This record gives sequence, structure tokens and C-alpha cells, in this order.
Amino acid sequence: MNTFKYKNLVSRWRETTELTPQTVGPLTGLYKQVTHRLKIMPIPTLILLSCILVCGVVFLLGPSIASLVSLLQRGF
Amino acid sequence: MKGHTLRGCIGFARTTIGLVTRPYETYRRIVNHGSLWELVPLSVLLACYFAIASLVKTAAFRPFVLTKQFIILAISVCVTYGVTVSLLWCVAKIMKGKGTFRSLALAWGYTLVPTLLWFLITSLLYVLFPPPRTGRPLGILFSALYLSFSTVLFFWKAMLTYLTLRFGMRLDLFRIIAVCGIVGSVMVFYSLGMYHLGIFKIPFI
Repeated sequence: MNTFKYKNLVSRWRETTELTPQTVGPLTGLYKQVTHRLKIMPIPTLILLSCILVCGVVFLLGPSIASLVSLLQRGF
Repeated sequence: MKGHTLRGCIGFARTTIGLVTRPYETYRRIVNHGSLWELVPLSVLLACYFAIASLVKTAAFRPFVLTKQFIILAISVCVTYGVTVSLLWCVAKIMKGKGTFRSLALAWGYTLVPTLLWFLITSLLYVLFPPPRTGRPLGILFSALYLSFSTVLFFWKAMLTYLTLRFGMRLDLFRIIAVCGIVGSVMVFYSLGMYHLGIFKIPFI
């Protein structure tokens, strides 16, 4: 391995290891599974989550969702 | 300076694509290798939004009023950005965070991408499909789609905020939640102030 590659490797190693891995006690396994999905192309997962949430809101609020959206649309 | 700006533009484009495809690795790169020149193209995009929003809010081509609206929006967003970054820095330092103000400011700047996208799309939809929405099937369908879009951007923003504090200030999850709780509480009062001043109904954070 030449010097340039070695220096890159050391620099990359330092970058990766400077942060201690995140632990959440007994929920660490679940946390790792959730974050694994969000590290690469999280948008499809976020779209799925938001669709589920919005379905719940529509189920709860019914047609009143229209007044909520009217309020949001004026929010800019 | 032209070279820096061009490199900043390329860096901004590359990073923005990375925010969508690989946000975790992208934020690590932003904090370690990012340049403040990357905020220049973001500022240009923000200025474009201010121009569009001024036109939509004023709904009349009166140069003085439009310029006044543009300047108010620009100054408010700059002040909000400064206040948010300073608050995050101070509270994160109290929570024993380690990082530089520059990397935090740069990382927080990129969290404005989903905010800008939401405000831009909302202002365009205000012109194309002005409120109020009705309770008819098409109205509810539009409402559901719009809420889904808003929720996706909100979750994306939350994720980028987490990554800002994780890589920018080297905080763990619990400290990040504490910092967000404290800063969020202060920003609620700040946002109420902005609302009463008639600048933002929804804060541009």
C-alpha cells in the first residue's frame, strides 16, 4: 500500500471511529434496524410512513382534513 | 472568488443529491470537508423563493411593495438562521458537545433544503390551487397528497437535524433530544413573535 492510500485509509478510519456508536440500552437492536433503513435512500421509507400517518389522520378527521390543509396552504 | 463559487455550486449540487440518496454519509462529509462557499447557491435559491413569495403575497406588480416584502423576508430568514444556529451551538456546548461553529452552521444550512422546498411548493400551489379546500372527493384527495408531501419533508428535516447535531456537535441520541427540546421551546416563542409581526405564519426554520 503506498503512502497516499495509507494516509487516506488512516484519515477515513479516524473519521469513522471518532464518533462512538449509538446505543439505546435494550432497544439498541431495534434502533440499528430502523436507522439502517434510513441511512441509504430514506425517501421511500419516509413516503410509506407519511402515507400511513395521513391515512390515520383522514380516518380520524374525515372531511375536516380539508380545513387543516387550507390553513397549511396559507402558512407560507 | 469565481473558482470558490463554482466549486461551492458543484459541492452544493453533489451534497443535495447526497442528502436524498445517502444522508448519513453526506452529513459526515459536510461536517469534515464542507466549505462555506456551498451556502452561496443555497442563498441564491432562497433569494428566488423570496422573489416568488413576495409576488404571490403582494399579488400586484408594485415595485416598492415587492422590494419591501423581499427585504423583510430576506432579513427575517437570515436572523432566524443566525438565532437557530447560535441557540443550537450554545445548548449543544452546555450538553458537552464537541464541534466547530462553522461545521454546525454549514450542516444547519443544508437542513434548509426541505424547508425551502416546502415553502416553494406551497407558494406555487397557492397560485395554482388556491385555498380553501372543499370536503368533496377531489378536495380530500388533494388534501391527503399535500399532507403526505408535507409529512415527508418534515420527517426528512427531522432526520437532517439529527444528523447535524450527531456529526456537527458529536452528541448522542438522548442529548440530541434534549437539545431539540430546549431549542424547540425557545423557537416556539420566537415563531409566535414572527407571527404577530406578520412575517411568517409558519416559521422558516
